[in-house]
This record gives sequence, C-alpha cells and structure tokens, in this order.
Amino acid sequence: MKGLLLTKLFPLHNVSEKKIACLPIWHYNQKIRIRCTAFGLNEGGFNIAVFQFVFDNIERITEYTANHFSLVLTVLFFSLIIWLAVGLVISKYDRFASSVIALANIIFIIPSISLFGLFVTIPQLGLGRKSAALALILYAMMPLVRSVYRGVKSTDKSVIEAGRGMGMSAMQVLFQIQIPMAWPVVFAGIRITVVLITGMATIATFIGERNLGRLIHHGITRGNAEMIVAGAVIVSLISLFLDFIMGKIEKKVTSPGLKRNINFR
Amino acid sequence: MIELKNVRKIYPGTTLPAVDEVSLFIEKGKVCIFVGPSGCGKTTILKMLNRLIEPTTGRIFINGDNIMDVDPDQLRRGIGYVIQQIGLLPHRTIEQNVEIVPRLLKWPEDRIKKRVVELLEIVGLDPKETAWKYPYQLSGGQMQRAGVARALASDPPIMLMDEPFGAVDPIIREHLQDEFLKLQQEVKKTICFVTHDINEALKMGDYLVVLESGKIVQKGSPLEVLSSPANDFVRRLLGDDRGVKLLDLTRIESLMIGEKSLPHNSEKCRCFIDVVKPVKMALEIMMKNNTDIVGVRRGEEVIGTLSWAEIKQHISKLSGDQ
Repeated sequence: MKGLLLTKLFPLHNVSEKKIACLPIWHYNQKIRIRCTAFGLNEGGFNIAVFQFVFDNIERITEYTANHFSLVLTVLFFSLIIWLAVGLVISKYDRFASSVIALANIIFIIPSISLFGLFVTIPQLGLGRKSAALALILYAMMPLVRSVYRGVKSTDKSVIEAGRGMGMSAMQVLFQIQIPMAWPVVFAGIRITVVLITGMATIATFIGERNLGRLIHHGITRGNAEMIVAGAVIVSLISLFLDFIMGKIEKKVTSPGLKRNINFR
Repeated sequence: MIELKNVRKIYPGTTLPAVDEVSLFIEKGKVCIFVGPSGCGKTTILKMLNRLIEPTTGRIFINGDNIMDVDPDQLRRGIGYVIQQIGLLPHRTIEQNVEIVPRLLKWPEDRIKKRVVELLEIVGLDPKETAWKYPYQLSGGQMQRAGVARALASDPPIMLMDEPFGAVDPIIREHLQDEFLKLQQEVKKTICFVTHDINEALKMGDYLVVLESGKIVQKGSPLEVLSSPANDFVRRLLGDDRGVKLLDLTRIESLMIGEKSLPHNSEKCRCFIDVVKPVKMALEIMMKNNTDIVGVRRGEEVIGTLSWAEIKQHISKLSGDQ
C-alpha cells in the first residue's frame, strides 16, 4: 500500500532520482512500480484493445501481412543475387570498388519516400509492387555490397599468400579462402538488410502497396493507437522471424573454425 | 636442383633493386639458408622461386627448366611452402588444411586420407587428436607443425620456408629445429630457408647465403662462413663469439671421420652421440667420460667417429685465421 502511494507521489522519472537517496526504498518501490504499470496497462484496456482490433480485422491484417512478407521476400531474393554478385565483382576488380560503393551510399541517403515517389512517375513501373520492389532493392545495395566487399577484402593476407603459394588459382583462392572466411561479415550485412527492408517496406503503402504500412498510416491519420501498434508489432515480428532464419543459415554456412567464441564439441 | 642466373628484382616505384644480380646454385637434397637483416632481399628471392614474385631480369631454373615457362599454379603445387604466419585456413580443420595440395592435384580419396594420417604422424601430431580440430584450437608450435605437414603433403622435392620458426617461443623453436633436422635426414628435400637469426642459420644450413641490401656478400657452408667471414658485415652478423659458436653450432656430421675410420676406431669408442648434435655436445661427452673419441650414430647405426684431435685441429685452424 505504501509502495503504491509512493509511486503516485513520485512520477516515474522521479523514481530514478530517489534510488541514490535511499536504495532499499527504491528497490521496494521499483517492484511496486512495475506491478502498477502492468496493472495500469490492463486497467486502461490498451493491451486488450490491440488484440480486439487484430481479431476484428483478421482478414485485412492477414492480407497486409502476406503482402508485406511477399514484398520483403521478393526484394531479398533479388538483392541477394544482384548485390552479392556485385560485391564479389568489385572485390575482384578493385578499380570499380570506390565508385560502386559511392553510388550505393548516394542511393542510400535519398529519402525513401521520395525514391518510391520517383519510380511511380516512370510509366513502366507505376504504382504498386514494381516500384516498391525496385526502390527497396536499391536500398539493399549499400549494406550488402559493402559487407561483401569488406568481408572478402579483410581476409588475412598470410592465408591468401599461403593459398597462392600452394598453387591455388586466383578463383580457387576466392572460392575456397576468401568467400568462406567472409561469411560472418557478409551475414552481418544480410541481417541488417533484412531488418531494413522489412521496416522500409511500410513506406510502400504510399505508392499503393497494401501492406502493414497501411495499417500504421491509417492509424496515424485516424489517431487510432491500436492500429499503429498492431502494424508495428507485426512488422517487428516479421523482422525478427527473418533475422532468426538468417541466423540459422549463417550458422550452417559459417565454419566452426571462424566462431572462436563458441565452444563446440 | 635450383639455379639462379643474374636475378635482379626492382619493385615498381623504386630505383634500388631489392635483389641485385644474384647467381646461385643449390644442390639437390641440401638445406640452403638465406640470412641477413630485414630488407636484404632474402624473402624476395624465396618468393621468386615459386613465382609469387617475378624477377625483373635474370633467369631461374628448377631441375633445368626455366620456371617462367611453367604454369605458376602447377609450379607451386610441386613446391612446398611454409611461411612464418603459417597461413592455415582458419575455416578448415587441420585435416582439410593438410589435404589442400593433394586435392588440387586431384589425388584419389583413399590416398589423400592415408597421406594425411601419415603426415600428421611425421610432424609429431596425433592424427586422432588433431585431425578434426580447427587451427585456433592448436598451440603455436602445433600450428607450425601442421603448416609443415601441409607443405610436405604432396611430397614435393623442394621446400621453401620463410622464417618458419620465427613466431614460436625459443624453447619450442629449438625443439622444432631439432625435429626439422631429424626429418630432413629422412626426407632429404631441397630446402630454401629464410631467417634473420644467424644462430638458426648456422644450425640448420648445409649452405649459407649471406645477403646485404640485395647482394650476396658471402656464400658457403656454415663452417666456411664462420671460419673466414668475407667482410666486416658478415663478422658483425656472426658476433664476437665465433669460436664458441663454431663448436656449438657445427654439426658433428661436418667434423666426423666417416666410414673409413670405423674398422680400427670404433672399438675405442666407449660412448656415442647422434650425428645431428652439435660438436659442443660431443666435447661435453668426452669430458664427462674422460675419453677423446666418440662414436657417431645415425639412428642405431654407427656411421663414423669424432675425436678431440679433429676438434682441436678445427679450432686452431679458425684461430689461425683470426
């Protein structure tokens, strides 16, 4: 009871100041505060309202989620094929590297909403999936190309020299030494890309994509918090899911010899 | 054998040659050591032998063939290569590392497997214990052994070694050196070995090539170099204790009297010493046992004798020069 009273007396940001003054009370307080906050959430019906919203609009949300997911997968598929290849090419032909990476950086700093808008004006692309996918593929260029280039380039020189010295051809050095050793860095790039695309795909709602971005957008225009939260949470879940899958693949692909911190066997 | 004819290397953007007019003949089955301070061109010479670096002018022949006429990858597959940083592939197990060259040469699977076990045993690694491990799980000494095993994999007649024991601590280094010498007795490879450590050079080499700023200052057996340094540079490189070094680092092999002496001398021997040990050890044994002759063994077989007279003669020859 005393705890509850204290929380009421000291709003949340004051609690942290209190902890220096009297630690035990703060500790006691902290417990109460967490309970109260949780209580407050339920009492306000905020949590329940979000679930209620999802259940009421399950069809629409399923459609949006499916659209979102398929857009992200499409983009991921093409960006991996294109940008991993480009990354490999520039790490092989160094003279292109700086200009390609500069181009990727420039694309990346264009505000996403304007790039989406720009593609819509191109007749062959128009509203919808094509423009959205193209813009997102271009955004994926920076993290992917850079990580491949950095991964391949950062291979230990002595290992490459040993490979060459044993009579591996340049191609064998690339595929048997540089690429396998680059996986950890490349996967870091891929996982960032996945999260980036999933989040950025929400913007595509403005050019006619019917995805979770629409939920957030409508939520904002209608001042409907449940809609925003539902959209944001599902987007995050997609990100987390894809990141998890990528993590699994990374573990499969990367040699245990490169994971020094993990004690296997 | 290996032959260099007027080999010169000028790196792009520099005017001073890194290697200047080097001519050399290395006999089959010998250990040739390139020794000198950093930047004297010893590593450049070594890398020119397997075309990791190509000479600006001059020609290099291996077994009579100009190496510029051979495909560089094919050439390198036939030459063992060990570097100081070892360069084990961190994403491959020791077994997979050792297999690299046989796989490049497309050996049949069962031959590769058999060879790996054999090699790990040769270099003193337990195949059951190490084959499946990744490089980071080994100690520095073990890694270097794995590196040597990898270089020996296809049984190449020539080995290039660039400061192979430079990165391990002195105790392990000495141990690896001894094992290397023992191994060389068996495999008899033609070895080019680069080091900046004159003691290592004197201990390991059949033949020394002393280099200073890209030029050969002196070439000859360790004994020749120690007993008659060509100039002040070589004298400085050797240090002031050449006499002691001579006894410490001269192998019994080079002072012993061979098989001719055996029939009438071997009965006098009360004690024996291994052929790869330094003369100092023989002296130690002579003093302990109060004798002036020791038998020299290779493995179990007695192959010669070494007497105080020979050592004394050797020392006086050296001090005469001084």
